[in-house]
Amino acid sequence: MNVNEVLSRVNVIFKDVLDNDSIVVVEKTTAPDIEEWDSLSHIQLIVAIEKHFKIRFTAGEIQSFKNVGEMCDGILKRISQ
Amino acid sequence: MQKGFSVTRSFQVTEKIYSGFIEIFNDKNPLHADESFAREKGFHSKVMHGNILGGFLSYFVGELLPMKNVIIHSQEIKFSKPVYLNDRLNFSAEADEVYDSVNAVVFKFKFENEAKEKVASGKIQIGLI
Repeated sequence: MNVNEVLSRVNVIFKDVLDNDSIVVVEKTTAPDIEEWDSLSHIQLIVAIEKHFKIRFTAGEIQSFKNVGEMCDGILKRISQ
Repeated sequence: MQKGFSVTRSFQVTEKIYSGFIEIFNDKNPLHADESFAREKGFHSKVMHGNILGGFLSYFVGELLPMKNVIIHSQEIKFSKPVYLNDRLNFSAEADEVYDSVNAVVFKFKFENEAKEKVASGKIQIGLI
């Protein structure tokens, strides 16, 4: 799996969790870019991502992600472990 | 919280709960409020509101977990069999998924009646705040 495939899957998760089919995330996307992405939906996004990719992040990893691209890199890193 | 942590509890759908639910939410659908209507539809008696079980779920999260800093993120419940007035339900829940990164836990739960029939089951995700 490459970063583009991860990003594509993450985009589907964002649409599903945030219940908005018009959402398009790119590597530079951050929470302020998406109206529905608040502190509570952030938890739901992380839960859905961890469940989908069968991975677990640490709280430190989550806090270190500056944007969706870094999150995807984190997913790839976890998948490869 | 660790995966596998479990809770069991017995609940009874009492007259006070049933009448209180109707008084507060005003759902007097004949399936819930009219004995003869419920029997005509094939049930033994008036069917209790499914969301009374939601109240028991609230009690589980708010009072039966070993911590008080909890909120419900989401829940889904499937109703399998009718619940009648004064039924005693055995509730069980087990931590099935733990997400330490965001302090979230998903419990699988079920309610069984005294005949050991599953009347409802589902999942509830809580967050530790």
